[in-house]
This record gives sequence, structure tokens and C-alpha cells, in this order.
Amino acid sequence: MDNQVNAPKVLKESKNKITVDFERTSLATRLKLKYLNISYVAGLIWRIFRFLLLLGVSYVILYPFFSKITGSFMSGEDFVDVTVKLIPKYPTLDTYKSIMFDLKNDVNFFEALIHSAFLSLGVALLQTFTCCVIGYGFAKFKFKGSKILFAIVLFTMIVPHGTIQVALQTHFKHFDIFGICKLLSGQVIPSFAPLVTLQEMYPTTLGTGLLLYGDSINLTNSPIPFILLSLTGLGFKNGLYIYMMRQFFKGVPDELEESAYIDGYGIFKTFMFIVIPLSVPMMITIFLFSFSWQWTDEFYTTTFWSSSSETFELLPDIINTGIGTMYANTSASGPAGPAAALYNAAVQNTKGLLIIIPLLIVYLFCQRYLVEGIERSGLVG
Amino acid sequence: MSKAPKRRRAASLDKRKAMGGWLFVIPFVIGLIFIYFPVIYDSFRSTFIQVAKDKQEIFVGIENYQEALFTDPNFVTNLISGLKDMVVDIPSIVIFSLFIAVILNQKVLGRAVFRAIFFIPVICATGLMDSVEESASSLNDYMGDQSQGINTGEMDDGFSMSIDKITSLFESMQIGSGIAEFVVGAVNRVSGIIDRCGVQMLILLAALQSISPAIYESCSIDGATTWETFWKITLPMISPMILVATVYTVIDAFTSKNSSVMKYIDSVEQVNVQTAMAWIYFSVIIVLVIVVVIAMRAYVFYQRRDS
Repeated sequence: MDNQVNAPKVLKESKNKITVDFERTSLATRLKLKYLNISYVAGLIWRIFRFLLLLGVSYVILYPFFSKITGSFMSGEDFVDVTVKLIPKYPTLDTYKSIMFDLKNDVNFFEALIHSAFLSLGVALLQTFTCCVIGYGFAKFKFKGSKILFAIVLFTMIVPHGTIQVALQTHFKHFDIFGICKLLSGQVIPSFAPLVTLQEMYPTTLGTGLLLYGDSINLTNSPIPFILLSLTGLGFKNGLYIYMMRQFFKGVPDELEESAYIDGYGIFKTFMFIVIPLSVPMMITIFLFSFSWQWTDEFYTTTFWSSSSETFELLPDIINTGIGTMYANTSASGPAGPAAALYNAAVQNTKGLLIIIPLLIVYLFCQRYLVEGIERSGLVG
Repeated sequence: MSKAPKRRRAASLDKRKAMGGWLFVIPFVIGLIFIYFPVIYDSFRSTFIQVAKDKQEIFVGIENYQEALFTDPNFVTNLISGLKDMVVDIPSIVIFSLFIAVILNQKVLGRAVFRAIFFIPVICATGLMDSVEESASSLNDYMGDQSQGINTGEMDDGFSMSIDKITSLFESMQIGSGIAEFVVGAVNRVSGIIDRCGVQMLILLAALQSISPAIYESCSIDGATTWETFWKITLPMISPMILVATVYTVIDAFTSKNSSVMKYIDSVEQVNVQTAMAWIYFSVIIVLVIVVVIAMRAYVFYQRRDS
């Protein structure tokens, strides 16, 4: 009986087409069944909650940037006016102007920016390559002591900077490898050949900074400590990069290299032509980390560059120098003490903005690789 | 350091590969021998000496450590309060980044945009920006009032009152003031916590991506709910990476320049005492990391031990 009732009733039948009439439940009931059950409602609530949460957290992350941007347009008058809080009433570019053209002690903003860009770029490239090489060594080769060495890599990550800061500074201030310089100092120091050529190559950088002590070389106030640390995988957070590279290479199947060996490639050729092209996304990730952390790094820059060096300005110098006449003018033309202090803070704030903007631009182009690179690496190993 | 075999032709593949391994890591080895070990040695040695006025080094034994631990009135209290902060911060950072990673791993509207936003702190929240924030803090305070309207004072009181109320509510419910304090502390520092979650989020997101969808499929066929799947599958599968994220958080929290103890150490005048403090601090970190690893080891599930 039931079968007969529920069987589809043929309304019209042609060669190509059949129109059938089902006994369907009404649309309202169907919609009710679909949307008014507990799992759908719970899912909907969860989705809305999830979205709002993400929105809220994004707000927390982005709010400082927003307030930085609006704050950077504030003028001295805005700080006197009590009604002005977040959005400036008298927007000016004063803070930008004073940073770009009016820093104390003739510190030039653009010069510092370019210097920092070159330094960060060079350091990031070197660190990416070095960490790639070292990570590959740890991932794909089994040799005696590799575990101990890797433990030391992790150890370098844990040591807080304060522990070694002074020692690092003195080490590079009196740089000497097992007394080689002491040995040579007798005759060679007055015209220490390789250093003279270096000085010729980078006159502005090394010109006055590089001083020869009696028995050692002063490498501070030059990029050499950065280069040495980057080349040996001891730079800022390099332990993390080595760890990431190692995990990435562990995920690369061994068969790939074995087939390359069989085809007659040596270890290095395999690395150059098979492994490196494969690991470009991961290397971009590391490069991005390295670049941005070097860009905003204060520890190594202040350790190796005394702020008194006038030949070579870097971004920390910008932060630490006050502005000249502009600030004086503002305080003279009316604003009381707190307002002037606020204006000064606004200038600092704009400095932060100017420093972060280049980074954000780089990040916009690379962020796809950042997430993808890490996901593809399967850091889990 | 093992010597590379001279006769290449006779070397077996294993030996050749071992040699290749050494060649690849040799930059690091050179760095260790010529830069890192001397620096560490120097730093360690300098905690046992003091420099006199005529630049002569005097060996003073453990005097610097005694100075740091017993004479200096602030170091130990600073260290303890720093540790207390960590107790709040570390679980909240790990849990929060796990939560966000799980959400970002699902299909959310505008996932790519949210991801891009969430990793901005990884790029921006570092040393230089901290010092900028510090010097511009008065401006931030000034502008921060905006969010609470014109009657700033009253609103402020309202907010802190509500927090007080919540705290007293928890206390009267006998849940334990410890938990309430923990929650209030976490809420008060939420933006700092979010700023420090970036790398952990990346690590956990990568771990989540590496779980095979087949496992989830078989679970849903067996009738497990999402909730059960999370506790029985997701959590055990990513537990090794939770351990890694936790260790990273501990290290990051301790070694970052704006942790209160680091700030205090930086402010100490005498270089040798400063270094001694840093070494004490370092040993505390090591002990804490070991404790965390041992404590979490019991709950970590390794799918393939050999890989």
C-alpha cells in the first residue's frame, strides 16, 4: 500500500523528458527541518562567535597602528585642545617634517633608513643561506656528534642576550683569533694589509671606526661583526632558523637526493640544484623573519655600534635622538609643559610608524609565503 | 671533531655522507670555536672577577653572585615577580595561540585576511618597537582615553569596579582566588599576550595542517562529534608541537628585552655583577625549561618515534 502511495506519479512523458510528481513535504516544513534543528543553530552560533572573536582580536592588533597613524598627524594645538582625543582637529605633517629634516646632531633620517635597509638585507640574505646550509647538514646527514652539535644550536637560542652582551662587545672590540694578531703585531700592524684594502673599499663605513689596538683589531662600528655572526649561524634567533630549516629538510624525501646521486651529482651539486630550488618558500619565510627582526633589532646594533659614531647612522640612533628646533618652537608658541611632552611623544610615535611602514610593505608581499612556507614545511618532524 | 678520511676512493657511502654532514655544518662549528665559546667563557669568567680602578682584574670568587643574591635588595624580588608573571602569561599564550590556530585552520570567512593580520605582531613586535612604545606611551595614554568617552574618570572606575566585582564574585563562589587572579591578570594583559602569540600560532597551525584528513573522516564515520574529535584526535596529534610552542614561549618571555627582570639587569651599574645576575637568570630559565619539558613529556603523544 505504502509503496503505491509514495510512488512517483508520471505527469508527462516525452522522448527526452519525464515530468514526475513526487509527494514532497511542503517547503516550509523542509526549511524548518533544515534550519531549526539544534546542530545547525549551534553551528551558526559558533560561526558567528568565531568571526566576532577574530574580528575583535584583529581590532586589538590593528588598533595601535590606527592610533599611531592618527597620532602622527597631530599638531601642537591638538594637545592643548581637550576635545581632541583620537582624531586630530588641526592635522599637520609637522611630526614627519621634524623627523625627516630636523633631528638633533645632524642625524639624517634617510641616511639611517638606507643604512639599516642595506644592513638588514645583507644580514638577512647571509643568515638565510647559512641557516639553510647548516640545517641541511643536520637534517640529512648522520655523523658523530651531530646530536650534541644540534643541542648546542638549541642552547644558543636559550642564552639570554644580557648574559653575553658585554663579552660579545669586548670580543669584537679586541678581536683576535688565538693570538694571530698578537703574533703579527710586531711588524705588520702599521700597514695591516687586508684591513687597509677593506678601508679603501668602505671608506665611509670603516674610515674612522676601525681602530687597531696594539695586539688586536677593533671590529665594532663596522658591519663585520654582523657578517661574521651571520656567516656562522650565531646571529639573532639563528637557532630558530636552523631548527626550522632542519625540520623542513626532514620532510623532503630522501629518494629525491638518492636519485640525484645515482645520476652522478655530488653532495654539493645535489644541494645546489635539487635542494635549494625546492626550499625557496621556506627560505623566503626565513628571510622575512630575519629581515624584519634585524630591521627592528636593538640589541646587536647597540652592542656593535656605539651611538656616538657619527659616520654611520642606523635606526636606533633615530629613536634615541630628539628633534631640534621644531620642538623648541612648539613649546615657545604656547603649549604648556604636558602638551609639549605629548608632542614629543607624538614625534616618537611617528618615528615608530616610519620604521614600521617599510616592514609592512615587505610583509604585504611576502605574507603568503610566510604562512604557506611554514605549513608546507610541516614543522612537525 | 672527526677527521675527514684522506683516501676518498676507499670511503664508503656512509663515511662520505658523514663527511658531507661535517662540511655542511662547518660554518657553525667555526663560529662556535672562534666566537661563541670564547664569548661564553669570557662572560662566565667575568662573573668571578672585578675590575679595579687601574684596570687590573681581581679574582673575587663568588662575591659577585653573593652581591646579586643577598646584597642587592631588588634582584631577587624582581626575579620572583617575573616568575609569577610567567605563570600567568605562559599558559594563556599557549592556550590562546592554540585556540586561534584551531579557528584559523577551519573555513572562516576572510581567513586569508585574518591570517595576514594575525601575523603582523611576529614582524613588528620586537626590540626597537618596544622602546618606541615606551617613549610614546604618554601619547598612547592620552589617546587611549578616547575609547571611554568624555567622562574618562568615571568610566575608568566603572571598568575597574566591574573587575573587582567579578573577582569578588569568584571569591564568594569559593572557586579560589587563584583562578580569579589568573583570569583577571590575563584579561588585563590581553594585548601584550596577543602580541607575543605569533610564532606559537605559526607552529601550531603547521602542526594542525599536518594531521591527515583521513583520520577525521574515519572519526566522523564512527560517529564522533567535533568536540570529541578535538580532545581525542587533534590534541594528542599536535601535543609534540604544543611542547615546542611552550618551550619557545618560556624562552621568548624570558629573553625578550622588555621582561621586567631583563630590564632590571640592564639597569645595574656594575658590569660584573650584571653578568652574574644574567647567569643566575639563565640558570633559572634552564631549570624552568627542563621542568616544563619533564612535566609535559608525560602527556605528549608521539605517533612515530623513529622519524
